[in-house]
Amino acid sequence: MSSDRLKGLILPALAVLAFEIWLRAFPIASDALAPPSAAVMALAQGLADGSVLLATRDTLLGAIIGLGIGSSIGLLLGVLTGLLPPLDRLLEVSIESIRPIPSVALLPIGLMVFGFGYALEFSIVAKTCLFATLILTRSAVRGVEPRLMEVARALRLSPFARVTKIVLPAALPQIFVAFRLAAGAALIVAVTVEITINPQGLGHAMMTAQQALRPDVMLGYLLWIGIVGFLWNAALLLAQRHLFGRAAVSEAMR
Amino acid sequence: MTDSAMNSAGRQSLYEFRDVGLTLGGKLILNGIEITVRKGEILCIVGASGCGKTTLLRLAGGLYRPSQGSVLFDGAPMTMPRQDVAIIFQDYGRALLPWRTATGNVALALEAAKVPAAERKGRIEASLAKVGLADHADKYPTEMSGGMQQRLQIARCLAQEPQALLMDEPFGALDAMTRQSLQDETLALHADSGATIIFVTHDLEEAIYLGDRVIGLLPHPGRVGIEIDVHLPRPRSQLATREEPEFLRLRRELFDFIEKSEGHR
Amino acid sequence: MTPLAQISWRIASFAFAASLVVAWQLVANAQLISPIFLPGPDRAWAALVNGFTDRGLGGKLVGTLRHMTFGWLAASIAAIALGSLIGSSRRARIYVAPSLEFLRPLPVSAIIPVAIALYGLSEGMAIFVIAFGTLWPMLLATIQGYAGVEPRLLEVARALNLSRLETVTKISLPSAMPDILAGMRVSLTVALILSVVCEIVAGLDGLGQWILISARMFRSPDLFAGVILLGAVGYLAAAIIAEVERRLLAWRKTH
Ligand SMILES: Nc1ncnc2c1ncn2[C@@H]1O[C@H](COP(=O)(O)OP(=O)(O)OP(=O)(O)O)[C@@H](O)[C@H]1O
Ligand SMILES: [Mg+2]
Repeated sequence: MSSDRLKGLILPALAVLAFEIWLRAFPIASDALAPPSAAVMALAQGLADGSVLLATRDTLLGAIIGLGIGSSIGLLLGVLTGLLPPLDRLLEVSIESIRPIPSVALLPIGLMVFGFGYALEFSIVAKTCLFATLILTRSAVRGVEPRLMEVARALRLSPFARVTKIVLPAALPQIFVAFRLAAGAALIVAVTVEITINPQGLGHAMMTAQQALRPDVMLGYLLWIGIVGFLWNAALLLAQRHLFGRAAVSEAMR
Repeated sequence: MTDSAMNSAGRQSLYEFRDVGLTLGGKLILNGIEITVRKGEILCIVGASGCGKTTLLRLAGGLYRPSQGSVLFDGAPMTMPRQDVAIIFQDYGRALLPWRTATGNVALALEAAKVPAAERKGRIEASLAKVGLADHADKYPTEMSGGMQQRLQIARCLAQEPQALLMDEPFGALDAMTRQSLQDETLALHADSGATIIFVTHDLEEAIYLGDRVIGLLPHPGRVGIEIDVHLPRPRSQLATREEPEFLRLRRELFDFIEKSEGHR
Repeated sequence: MTPLAQISWRIASFAFAASLVVAWQLVANAQLISPIFLPGPDRAWAALVNGFTDRGLGGKLVGTLRHMTFGWLAASIAAIALGSLIGSSRRARIYVAPSLEFLRPLPVSAIIPVAIALYGLSEGMAIFVIAFGTLWPMLLATIQGYAGVEPRLLEVARALNLSRLETVTKISLPSAMPDILAGMRVSLTVALILSVVCEIVAGLDGLGQWILISARMFRSPDLFAGVILLGAVGYLAAAIIAEVERRLLAWRKTH
């Protein structure tokens, strides 16, 4: 298996190497592109002088707080609509007419209301996370094994106890999946907002480097965004496995 | 065992397994298999679970090549699957194309054989009619019961107009009633087409009921442990045949063999 | 649920949405929020109609649709062709899939500065970004679809002596279709987002540019008209591809 994993590395390694050789051999395109080695150097320097870390902090802050706001509202609405079909049917048209609006389309509105800064980023990230969490939480709650609900009724649990003792624990693994997907989207949207309008964070740093004709710095940031994105997702996956590993196994045994 | 292509009954042989051995993943699965299959006969293969029945059938189908010895079909080595050898898998649910209707699934065999489009329609209808699916030509596999799905797989194989039908526990997953009617349909199709059938099964009674001969395999590695001729009159009948003393005697003989072979482990 | 109950719920649901619009109108009329930020639905609607009749909003709509569909279609074709090549070989999958898995969660918009460096603030840049950004998820979906083909069906193909090409067109591709279409559906949403972003960043003719300029000039009715239109595009795009999926995958539902 680990040899398969090594094989997966061959292709990217070759691509980087080819890129390096190509740009070293023909340095004409150097205004737009820089060899990978130069990008790595620029990234190392940015990390050393703290500028990269500062930008990372801004981006992560935007993603995390936006995620916090959006996914809590989404979770609440998802549980409610999942548990109460009448409410779900009542809200359906409203939800389905707001959901398809691309979140970046709300950027200019956010800009008018909040101006540049954190609040703009929070609001756009939150919109994305809200709907992602809402939809998946709702289906997680609806998917709770009907037999479990029968058990709850047979035990004469109160409605509140039914939710806290049966529904939420049963739907929790799925709800966490919803959270993980929303979190993935949060980082993507934060970077996108910065690239598009908001003058802060990693996205904006990348745009600035491009405008300053520093392709090495720009590609260094691209590399760094890749690393941050990878770690962000890996951490979430790890948390999911750690928290729900046993639940997932018993799920499969059923 | 004779080297000639003729056997004692005077009928030509279709398959000859000559000292066949097969190693998979470093494990010896089959060893020293000597089997002759006569043209037009029904040969049933029984044996404990995991003794290599499916593997033997896959060799006959050309899906595996022997690591030792040779599998001859019509006198020539079987090196790859052939158009005139059809395989019927046990898990019919997975062996059908879920995105094609019954007609489409049978058509696949004809497309593979490069049958001209003009000829296909008639042959598809004929194949479906033979297995009693004429009225279900436009149904998707997911709209069919298990028995119908297995009939559909048989129809696809019949469309190949095969010399040999290789059936791997084809009725194992079906209920008793459906199984009995499919057994009788298989006998009718056999009488009708004259194809040679190799039939793998777990069910000893099924093997005797269908077969001209029954071969029992011993496990670890798989090898031939018993070979019996079934001298029961044809056409056979679910009630009468199963009550014949000869039937009961053969059942006893096979039962003892299987019990002994399981003790072998 | 009876059909009557279903229809009643639909009506109730629309009524609820309508009451939200009315509330929006009342809030706007009462000027609880400055009309500079929040136009009433009446003014937004008027701006929408007016935009189409004499302000060239239709052209902007076409621009956005052009960017999104060109990039997405190019990527779809490339992804299906390339994905079929890679996906039908187990060995190729081992070499390629990990890289794609790695690329998948990355913020694709980060490619925009690179694309600007390469292509300038041009329409070509936008189409490159959209094609690039939607290619990877679709390629991965296609490869996964091929990896998930029922092994028994591949054996049936062997038993029938199907050629490699026939095996792909008759067995693997139809079997991978649900995954491919799912990838295309997700990517279409991404394509719309990237179109808007590129139009904003590069000032390209499209709805992204329209809403940005409206915001900069504090013409909030125009801004809301653009946002509503983008919502409609998102809705219709999803509806169309869902219908295509429903038709092509009709065999999956029948049970
Ligand atoms: N590709 C393979 N690699 C290694 N071992 C295999 C392979 N295929 C089958 N085997 C082994 O070969 C033996 C025989 O398998 P086979 O499927 O032929 O048995 P069978 O008689 O058909 O069993 P059953 O009655 O359960 O269907 C088993 O022990 C199995 O584990
Ligand atoms: Mg078997």
